[in-house]
Amino acid sequence: MDMLTSKIFLRKTKRGKVLKVVREHYLRDDLWCGSDLCKKCNQENSEVLDDAPLSSSTLCACPHYVVVDTNVVLHQIDVLESPAWKNVIVLQTVLEETRKRSTNNFKKLKEIMATRKDNFYVFVNEHHKDTYVERNPGESANDRNDRAIRKACSWYQTHLEESQQGRDKKKKIQIILLTQDFKNREQALKEGIPAYKVDEYVKSLKDFPDLQEKLAASHSEDNAENREPLFPEHWAPTRIMTGIKSGKLLQGIFHCSRENFLEGSVSVEGQDKSILLQGHASLNRAVDGDIVAVELLPEDKWTSPSGIVLEDQEDQDPGDQIEKEEALLSNSAKGKDRQPTGKVVGIIRRKWRQYCGILLPSVLAEGTRHLFVPAERKIPKIRIETRQAATLSSQKIIVAIDSWPRTSRYPLGHFVRALGNIGDKDTENEVLLLEHDVPHHSFPETVLACLPSMPWTISQEEVKRREDLRNLDICSVDPPGCTDIDDALHFRELSPNLYEIGVHIADVSHFVRPDTALDKEAANRGTTVYLVDRRIDMVPELLSSNLCSLRPDQERLAFSVIWEVTPNAEIKKTRFTKSVIRSRRAFTYAEAQCSIDDPLQQNELAKSLRGLNKLAKIMKKNRMDKGALQLSSPEIRFEVSTETNDPIDVISKPMLDTNSMVEEFMLLANISVAEHIFKHFPECAVLRRHPVPPESNFEPFLKAGKTQGFTLDVSSNKALAASLDAAVKPDNVYMNTMLRILATRCMMQAVYFSSGTVAPVDFYHYGLAAPIILISHLPFAGLYADLLVHRLLAVAIGADVTYADLLDRKCVQQLCNNLNYRHKMSQYAQRSSVALHTHLFFRHRVQDEDAYVLSVRQNALQVLIPKYGLEGSIYLKEKDEDSKPAFIYNPDVPSQTCGNITIRTFDRIVVQVSLDSKYVQHQKIAVHLVQPQIAGLSVEAIKTVNDSEPIPKKLKAGK
Amino acid sequence: MSIAPQLLRGPSLMAEILLSEAEKAFIHHGDDLRCDGRTRLDYRPIILETGLVSNASGSSRLRLANSDVLVGVKVELASPLSEKPLEGRLEFFVDCSANATPEFEGRGGEDLANEICRFLQMSYMSGDTINLSELSVLAGQQCWVLYVDILILECGGNLYDTVSLAVKSALYTTQIPSIKVATMDGDQPELELSEDPYDTKRLNTQNVPCLVTLMKIGNHYLVDPTPEEECCSSSGVVVAVSGSKKITAVRKIGSGSLHPESLVSMLKTASEVGAVVNKILMKKLLEEETAGKTQKVGFMR
Amino acid sequence: MSGTELLSDQGLRIDGRKPNELRRIRCSLGIFAQADGSAYLEQGNTKVLAAVYGPHEIRGSKSKALHDKAFVNCQYSTATFSMGERKRRPRGDRKSTEMSTHLEETFAAAIRTELYPRSQIDIFVEVLQADGGNYTTCVNAAMMALVDAGVPLKDTVVSCTASLVKDTPLVDVNHVEQSGGSPELVVSILPHSGEIVYMSLTQRFHIDHLSKVLDTAIKGCKDIGVILKEIMKGHLTKLDTSLQAS
Repeated sequence: MDMLTSKIFLRKTKRGKVLKVVREHYLRDDLWCGSDLCKKCNQENSEVLDDAPLSSSTLCACPHYVVVDTNVVLHQIDVLESPAWKNVIVLQTVLEETRKRSTNNFKKLKEIMATRKDNFYVFVNEHHKDTYVERNPGESANDRNDRAIRKACSWYQTHLEESQQGRDKKKKIQIILLTQDFKNREQALKEGIPAYKVDEYVKSLKDFPDLQEKLAASHSEDNAENREPLFPEHWAPTRIMTGIKSGKLLQGIFHCSRENFLEGSVSVEGQDKSILLQGHASLNRAVDGDIVAVELLPEDKWTSPSGIVLEDQEDQDPGDQIEKEEALLSNSAKGKDRQPTGKVVGIIRRKWRQYCGILLPSVLAEGTRHLFVPAERKIPKIRIETRQAATLSSQKIIVAIDSWPRTSRYPLGHFVRALGNIGDKDTENEVLLLEHDVPHHSFPETVLACLPSMPWTISQEEVKRREDLRNLDICSVDPPGCTDIDDALHFRELSPNLYEIGVHIADVSHFVRPDTALDKEAANRGTTVYLVDRRIDMVPELLSSNLCSLRPDQERLAFSVIWEVTPNAEIKKTRFTKSVIRSRRAFTYAEAQCSIDDPLQQNELAKSLRGLNKLAKIMKKNRMDKGALQLSSPEIRFEVSTETNDPIDVISKPMLDTNSMVEEFMLLANISVAEHIFKHFPECAVLRRHPVPPESNFEPFLKAGKTQGFTLDVSSNKALAASLDAAVKPDNVYMNTMLRILATRCMMQAVYFSSGTVAPVDFYHYGLAAPIILISHLPFAGLYADLLVHRLLAVAIGADVTYADLLDRKCVQQLCNNLNYRHKMSQYAQRSSVALHTHLFFRHRVQDEDAYVLSVRQNALQVLIPKYGLEGSIYLKEKDEDSKPAFIYNPDVPSQTCGNITIRTFDRIVVQVSLDSKYVQHQKIAVHLVQPQIAGLSVEAIKTVNDSEPIPKKLKAGK
Repeated sequence: MSIAPQLLRGPSLMAEILLSEAEKAFIHHGDDLRCDGRTRLDYRPIILETGLVSNASGSSRLRLANSDVLVGVKVELASPLSEKPLEGRLEFFVDCSANATPEFEGRGGEDLANEICRFLQMSYMSGDTINLSELSVLAGQQCWVLYVDILILECGGNLYDTVSLAVKSALYTTQIPSIKVATMDGDQPELELSEDPYDTKRLNTQNVPCLVTLMKIGNHYLVDPTPEEECCSSSGVVVAVSGSKKITAVRKIGSGSLHPESLVSMLKTASEVGAVVNKILMKKLLEEETAGKTQKVGFMR
Repeated sequence: MSGTELLSDQGLRIDGRKPNELRRIRCSLGIFAQADGSAYLEQGNTKVLAAVYGPHEIRGSKSKALHDKAFVNCQYSTATFSMGERKRRPRGDRKSTEMSTHLEETFAAAIRTELYPRSQIDIFVEVLQADGGNYTTCVNAAMMALVDAGVPLKDTVVSCTASLVKDTPLVDVNHVEQSGGSPELVVSILPHSGEIVYMSLTQRFHIDHLSKVLDTAIKGCKDIGVILKEIMKGHLTKLDTSLQAS
């Protein structure tokens, strides 16, 4: 360190003060060039840049190192992922500019550099005494950075030259600057630095001909300027910022409607009602998830959601024109339901990611421009350029969006990679994991190295440290086929008026020690994801299915919560301990139920189960009396063929007493643990809360209740529970379940949080109405949050020591944020997995099923088929179809009437379910009306399915 | 030996100055030759350095013999005064550091500081010293306020003059950021700070006054008194003189009295001396500026 | 990943230092003629002037006098232009008063006060520019001024800060690092005995990290001590030669 300079700049504070900021800036002479051939730097680390690099480029045949300009990182990040890149120098200037301009790309670049350490070298040019440049008067920050990049290039040239003296001229290493900036390239060439456009360089890489497809679409050659713009212009950022500051514009997250691609909403922080957007011009190129600036329309132009179900059904690229959308939207119900309506005037931050989907090949066989259809319905189609359309059209592929110019109907993007054949279960699973950002790579060596070596036994010392509960009659109750048994129970009578019950949780925290590679991996994964046909573990299988699975007749380490309770389920004493247990038996729910119900069974386990069951019922009743909600969502299970792994039957999961028994005790354990850790760590306990939903959330629910003549009270969870219990119709038994399903959808997502970050008033768990209203999640070892809870509890009872991050409120909250995200995504992934299997199930089937109307729309009925937990739309009217019978829509009920048949919400109907294979690449479940029969709309009921297996016919016509 | 009379608060606060009768006699009755070899209208050498306080918009350190003053100017945006909506303003603040003398500890130096501060304010009040409308950013809404903070590090006599020279130098180097007023669709105007740190403007300090202290000793008066000379004087005047010899403020100091005739003569002399001092200072500032970005010496001698 | 990265993947801090590197230190002694001892000390962009008066008779109320040792009086003051945002007054606020008290305690421990019963020693520090580690720079500057004044010391006092970023301890933190929300440990030690005379911690970190952060701060103190000692030696040699010349 031998030089010092300072950086001086002006900064405006939030309060409008202008500060002169002076920072020291040290220049060093101990920053190495990273080249293997260099004899000048005394670098110790293994050098990244090769001594004699091979050039694959036809443009520059001599050996060279590549320096990339910031704009290359910003615009061509996908290209940089390719293994084609070797001997790349990333300058600190570029890193910092990237960080400032795009967090996303910065993260990606860091990932690339981390995985390909041997090919990317970071040169800290900003702190090198020979490469630092000071900004000149009148020079823009950008120009200064460009100059710094060129300075570093020429420094490398002369620096390497000294070590290369005497080398054959053709073998001398050159420094090549890749840039997209015309001015910078011109200037570089002038200064004697070979510089190329990045696309021209990529195209010249003869060993990687496919790489050029990953180049971000550049639309300059498209003479786009000459075409009529389709969308309004986006405002300049400064104008947007002033607009937001003055309150003229609103900032929020754009959500595209799932049902209507021309409709969306913007949720503005702190505002109860979201802002409605309708039509191409109002959406103005916003893509789902983007942070946008919206301008509200004058109140007289406000409208209500159209109620139309609309899909962008163009099978071919319609060119750059916009369909007449008035027709599609015009008859949106105007009336009392009007809500704030606005239009997007600018995008504050794009949240574009990579999308999975399929290619819709152009009609022109030899054409290179094609349309890409994302799997996520909320994402618009994307135009890409590829020469491999023929091979890609049968595959699921990943595409990234590059830009969305005003003149283009669809955003422009580029092909990233192919996943595999469409319809292939592995491919489809991959798609849904990727789409939901579920980390599913196999565990790396470093993680596996943290596992205990097999065969594993519990050491004598470990037993001494713990309470020995091996003598207790402990058993577990789980769904059939469960291999990760993470909880077990016991019950015994201490005296006629005092019982002891215990919940024993696999002690994962014993194996996953803080700050190990295993711990970090688990923290990132956050949760175990259960798909229909596979499980994505949070920790390696050895733990999840063996050492941390409380298998019968095997000694396992556990964390135990032990209560003493009276026969009235009154808790007298609670204690926590680390323990060693041996489960006597692993029951399934059904087996446990049998043991309870069968009076002939009088063994200890059966008695225990009965005792537990009795207590559970009392506890549940107490809880219900306090206002806990019994909600519902259809849950189904697929019976999977052992050979093909394809689903062969669908069973909805039965709810047995034993299910709720286990649930009840887990809840009890939760509450006890939560209380305990909150008492000990009021600042950093990991808890879970279920926020009270805002009133407006309940609107669709209340409306639905009204159609059935029920007034539902949502003022409190207790009132809601009571009115749900009262809303029963003898002639439509399923109606109550439907209402509960709808109520579930109004709820807020339960979230994990660190207790120090939320005011205790908000600790409420709405759905469970737990008496102390604190819920932490202990039982499922498949959640990282539980691991944290285990650790906190272990510290609280003195069984373990704390470590730094555990007690850092901010760290814990950061972890919680990730957990909430992963948890949400895992649920979505689960749902998608069910949908995928439903598709597979219907591949060779057409079936008639009972269904219920979830909601009545202007042009469609949304129906739920409880047997499959499947939702679908029956279109009553399609845009260019006059053939269908005329329905009269009454938005106030809402109902659809055709002739003497009226269909309302919750009505039972019969539908025919099949797989619509009109488009091979884009299969979807089709739902057609069977009953009530409406000429021109309903289809013939089928008597048998393809398997010639009779379906039970117990259908009754709807009214 | 006698202890000097309490004439000027500043010097008297310093460690007591002990003078022999002979010394006093020389100061009182000497010819146009002072103890340190100067004539009555000579200044001691001025040592000036600017830009020492890098996080201030303008700064200077000025030493006149043992008097040592550090000035930092910070510019801030604020609302203009309601009576002067089209002008920015200067705010002076003087702090007497206890480093100069333990007497200044705590609030010990406050009276002296306030006295200097008020006189500075007064001498800058005149309309033609500095064009305050240059400091307006947005009429009636935003303007620049220049906080001129003066830190007295050592007192070696003639504080008024030293402070004023240092202030003028600091203002001379002060760089005011360029700011653009962007008005959109009739919204609240938004101020946009120039992204280029070099994009600044400077004040015109041509007419900024320097203070000249004249001390009456015996039948004469002299400039730039040493602490010893200050002890021997019972009255004097401080005159603010701009570069063009204009007098912008006057104040009589000390417990003695002055004859009107000698006052007139003193003012005349002050204006002549002031012009010279101004010229010398400007020359030094120019030298400093053209010397460019050489390593600052500052307090590292 | 918002804001600035205090420690880059390449192991450099924002200003280009490595975690264990101090900022540049510059110091000069005897800069004022009137004070009995004075020093100017720069640690990076933090610049401090210190002046020492005494030992002398108790000033003001005699009740402050201690019968067996000297009374150490300190004042911590900050120039109004020293920070990014202008300060309204240089001292008298709670923070300055607190700092003054800490200085008094620290130097009462270091000065051989027993040699000067019933007298007073004044130490005044003035922060001219603040860029992190203001207090530590003041301690170091005051110590140099005491040396310049020839006040007998039991041991020199040196002070240094340390912080913790990404589990890596940083020594001698500057303003950006300090205001980035990371903790700041301030330690003053007597380098010969290795004893700690002052310690404070802002923000918090887990106790497991304490020893390494503390070690870093102490190492920083010792490094600063070595540099300051060289400067003292240089100053004395200069004095010596100038004395001989005269």
